[in-house]
Amino acid sequence: MSLNLKIFQDRVITLSLTIAVLIIVSSLIWPQQFFSLENLSLVLLNLSIDAIVAVGMMILLISGSFDLSVGSVVAFAGGFAAYLMYYWGVYMPVAILASLGVCMIFGFVNGWLVARLGINPLIQTLAMMGIIRGLALMVSGSGIQNLPEGFNQLGQAKILSFQMPVWYMIFIVGIFSFLVARTIFFRRYYYIGGNEKAAVLSGIRVERMKIFSFVLMSFLAGLAGIILAARLGAAMSTTGQGMELRVITAVILGGASLQGGQGKIIGALLGTLFMGIIGNIMILARVSGYWQQIIFGIILIVAVAIDILLQRRADRDAIVVLKTKA
Amino acid sequence: MNESKSITRFVLMALLIGLIVLSCDPSKGAYKQANESENTTGPSINPNEEYVMVTTFVNFPMYVNHDQAAFLRWGKKMGVKTTVLGPTEWDVVAQIGVIEQVIPSKPAGLLINGTDPAIASAIDKAVEAGIPTVVYDSDIPNSKRHAFLGTDWYEIGRLQGEAMVELLGGKGKIAYLGIVGQTNMENGFRGLLDVFRKYPGIVVIGKYDSKGSTENAAKITADLIAANADLAGVCGFDATTGPGIGLAIKEAGKAGKIKVTTVDWEPEHLKLVRDGVIDVLIGQKENCSPGTALSFFMIWYTRLMSFQVMMRGRVLPTYHFRLIPVY
Repeated sequence: MSLNLKIFQDRVITLSLTIAVLIIVSSLIWPQQFFSLENLSLVLLNLSIDAIVAVGMMILLISGSFDLSVGSVVAFAGGFAAYLMYYWGVYMPVAILASLGVCMIFGFVNGWLVARLGINPLIQTLAMMGIIRGLALMVSGSGIQNLPEGFNQLGQAKILSFQMPVWYMIFIVGIFSFLVARTIFFRRYYYIGGNEKAAVLSGIRVERMKIFSFVLMSFLAGLAGIILAARLGAAMSTTGQGMELRVITAVILGGASLQGGQGKIIGALLGTLFMGIIGNIMILARVSGYWQQIIFGIILIVAVAIDILLQRRADRDAIVVLKTKA
Repeated sequence: MNESKSITRFVLMALLIGLIVLSCDPSKGAYKQANESENTTGPSINPNEEYVMVTTFVNFPMYVNHDQAAFLRWGKKMGVKTTVLGPTEWDVVAQIGVIEQVIPSKPAGLLINGTDPAIASAIDKAVEAGIPTVVYDSDIPNSKRHAFLGTDWYEIGRLQGEAMVELLGGKGKIAYLGIVGQTNMENGFRGLLDVFRKYPGIVVIGKYDSKGSTENAAKITADLIAANADLAGVCGFDATTGPGIGLAIKEAGKAGKIKVTTVDWEPEHLKLVRDGVIDVLIGQKENCSPGTALSFFMIWYTRLMSFQVMMRGRVLPTYHFRLIPVY
């Protein structure tokens, strides 16, 4: 019993099992539509941008923080790179690097003000969300089309039936899964999120680490924005609206906690995959947009409620075991 | 033990809610019975055919009341399945995702709300998959769509501009509101400004983002009135701006003094016209009643042969519809 509970305490395992059940059931209901390479490719393509942003958000949430400006950064990054290429004729790699550089400055501003001045991340990143969205509107206006073909190929080319954003997502999740699980630098975020004061006392440079996490978040959001612009072949100032809450929801479903100190990068992918599959099922089942919102809300509450119940039960069992040993 | 009880209660609650939902039968409801007579009209094509409308904002009141209502009514009349899908907030990327995920299920026809040129590749995928695809509302000329039914937004802007110039006698301070960054509205803004450029007496104080929200439009207008005692006119470009602008003008006691031109003619717009708050509406004719419906037919070379779409009409003789068949 205890062994079973230990397994079910791990959100990665419970979510993987849930996703597996969803896939099996959906494949039986819609064998032609759901269980096809084309549909799998589309589901992954449509969640790839959110998943890349979710990787950064997972690291932030592990450290006990979050960033509401990611959607605006996504819009700005694509818009600014497109602006440089379309209006100024800037060479594509330079435009991409310049856009990513500006995004990292946004992240630095967020991180510095949160870590050094102690501004609440909610207020700070909410303010930046508006500022960056305004900048995105300024650079993209009504949208920038006719981007260089080479740029579009970054998001539209296919390898083994999967469009490039899917491969970027796999690469980024793979790299950061390794870094967060295996390197001392990233492991420190768990200490910071678990107990910030203790982390400071143990010699971890918490402020710098926090600033870095915000810079990394903005870098990944910027990268996601550029990939999205390449995929669409256009930059739109309206992209990324509502993304912040969608991504935070996915990351919490994937095992992160708003209190910090918990979560795995693979959980971020599984959270977005779970939401992507549910979205896909609702489209296949022709569920109306109204019901989709209700169903997503219920799923979130059920997932978190079950998690809390299992957690409590596991905690109680652990106490029983300790008492027995004593 | 308590946790087991909690889980059991939770599961029982979920089952109960599930049973309630499953036991719902709209066919027994008064609404269904009241509308029964209308639904029985119209010839049947093939009841297994499914037509899907993918909008970019599924609960946008104007879409719900006109485009979607007309589409669903058409489906009932023709005896075919109709489904409306799309995000519940203005989200073009999510709309693209929905279009792409609908394609593998091969509907008999796709009706896509034209919002931004970026949706062109998704439209192309649908066309390449052999699905008859119609773009409505705003055109996506860079796509391979089979046809477009909708409005010329530049023209809407131009007509609003001309109406406003006439109302003000060619001089005064003007502001305009709409969903900033959205291609169709930006085209409307362009049309408006092209008119104003010809009149040096017209001073444009700014372009403001309503974000598709009445509250936002009201707040912006109130701020504009407070900051500009000599504000002469406000132009609105989405369905929510009219009621928002009207509310702020009424609350400021400036009805009739500040001229208002805007789009659409929902009941709330018409009431504001009657109250003397809105001066000009550039709108689309309601066509939910099959008797007065404005219908367009497109004959396809495919085996499906026909795909009928009912669209909105116009209120003023200034509204432009374009049917661009691309056979």
